[in-house]
Amino acid sequence: MKKYLYPVLTALGACALLFAGPWAFKSYSAPFPPANLIKEVRAGAAEDALALTLGLRRLAADVWFVRLMQYYGTSELEMEFDSAEGARGHKAGPHYHGGVRCEGVHFGEGRYPEFLGYARHILALDPYFLNAGLYAAASLAFNLSRPEEAVSLVNWALIYAPKEWKYVRLLAAIGYSKAKNPAKVAQLIAPLLEEPDCPVMIRQLAAFLNKKAGNHAAAYAIYRSILGSTRDRLYIENAKKEMAKMEQKSKVESK
Amino acid sequence: MNFFLIAGIIASQTLGENYKNRFFAIFIVFAAVLIYASLLVGVMAVDEEARVLVDSGLALMELIALAYALMAAAGTITREIETKTIYLVFSRPVPKPAYLLGKTAGLYLSCALMLAVMSLIHLSLMALRGFALPVFYFKAVVFIWFKLLIITSTAVFISLFSTSVISTVTITAILWTLGHFTQEAKFLIEKSSGAASWALKATAYFIPNFGLFNARDLGARAAGGPGPVFLFIYIFLWFIVPYLFSLLLFRKKEF
Repeated sequence: MKKYLYPVLTALGACALLFAGPWAFKSYSAPFPPANLIKEVRAGAAEDALALTLGLRRLAADVWFVRLMQYYGTSELEMEFDSAEGARGHKAGPHYHGGVRCEGVHFGEGRYPEFLGYARHILALDPYFLNAGLYAAASLAFNLSRPEEAVSLVNWALIYAPKEWKYVRLLAAIGYSKAKNPAKVAQLIAPLLEEPDCPVMIRQLAAFLNKKAGNHAAAYAIYRSILGSTRDRLYIENAKKEMAKMEQKSKVESK
Repeated sequence: MNFFLIAGIIASQTLGENYKNRFFAIFIVFAAVLIYASLLVGVMAVDEEARVLVDSGLALMELIALAYALMAAAGTITREIETKTIYLVFSRPVPKPAYLLGKTAGLYLSCALMLAVMSLIHLSLMALRGFALPVFYFKAVVFIWFKLLIITSTAVFISLFSTSVISTVTITAILWTLGHFTQEAKFLIEKSSGAASWALKATAYFIPNFGLFNARDLGARAAGGPGPVFLFIYIFLWFIVPYLFSLLLFRKKEF
């Protein structure tokens, strides 16, 4: 009798696993977009496949976000120079960086044709990467003047995060930006600034819009909040510069 | 002597052996270096440093613990057979089921110890950088351990019929990647038909579904699907079935 105990137990266990396996497979639904929605960016298909097979979607999205920031943080002049291998000689151009004015030119401006591809890629890997979605959509809409692409990105993000009020706010702000109403845009994105992890680029944008709309006190307060909410040196320097300018202006006005 | 007491003694002996083994220390040092190096990636992510640090740390912990678990599980019994130490064990009244249970439990404890040490290093770094702990952190670590339980049980079973440690590690590593590929397998099944569909279904049903335990990738979000009771049963089955199969093979061996 004892001779058959283990084979019988093994058979029973195997049968239980035969039922549990299909059940687990059928009832499991991962809250991520299917693999066919991950479009290849910069020959990164093998890397994406590796991330999926090891269950590392979040980490892959993080890595692509770093790449997006490096891409957007590099001057297009530098990129053109690099690709031409200096054939025509390097012309020192203004340095660009998301929304911050450097050397007299708006840093975030430019073409950055792959920006949407990168952003979609990040959200296809991890659609819950909220700050990446906000950062990318706001950059597209307000810095790169491509509101249609920004709207398509936010709509994509809303499929997986339909209750995310920050996306809805941003969508409305993009709408008002099209109507060239900076005061309304600033008002709409104001609640986003209350969040401690609000992307600094959005703070920068809000400060700029408030300044443009004549709300200097609000702009000053937002610039001050930038000092304590980011480690990005460029944004900090810009905020200090803008605050100094405003302080100087108010002193002149009070005299 | 009581069956479980013998198993407990063997488990503590296995844990002690693994703990004193130089590989354990090497893996821990390697993990510490890599987790420390992930600080660099975090810094590159600027304001998303906390998220990147958490994600890269958890991913590295999982991969290093997996590598260690596979190496340890693949050799734990075969090494004792090769060095003939197993004869000493069975010269005493040690039942084979208790021996196998003890060995497997010892491996589980070794994995838990390794994860605990790595978590401590990771958490220390997080604290050093002044970042708060994400809500899902401990759940992610425990679920990594659950995945390791499943793969360790499978690796022990495979090691009993496999020809070498390398082949055991290779087979279980393939199972690991397939187990994370559940969602993509669903997509492939939908797109395929006939024999290909059946083959894919069979593979997807009867490999461990690691997607269920991928809390590290899901973040604070819960995957849709089976509840905690089912998960518990699923883990238990993936422990008991490979154990019983291992026992069938092990009982045939003459010591």
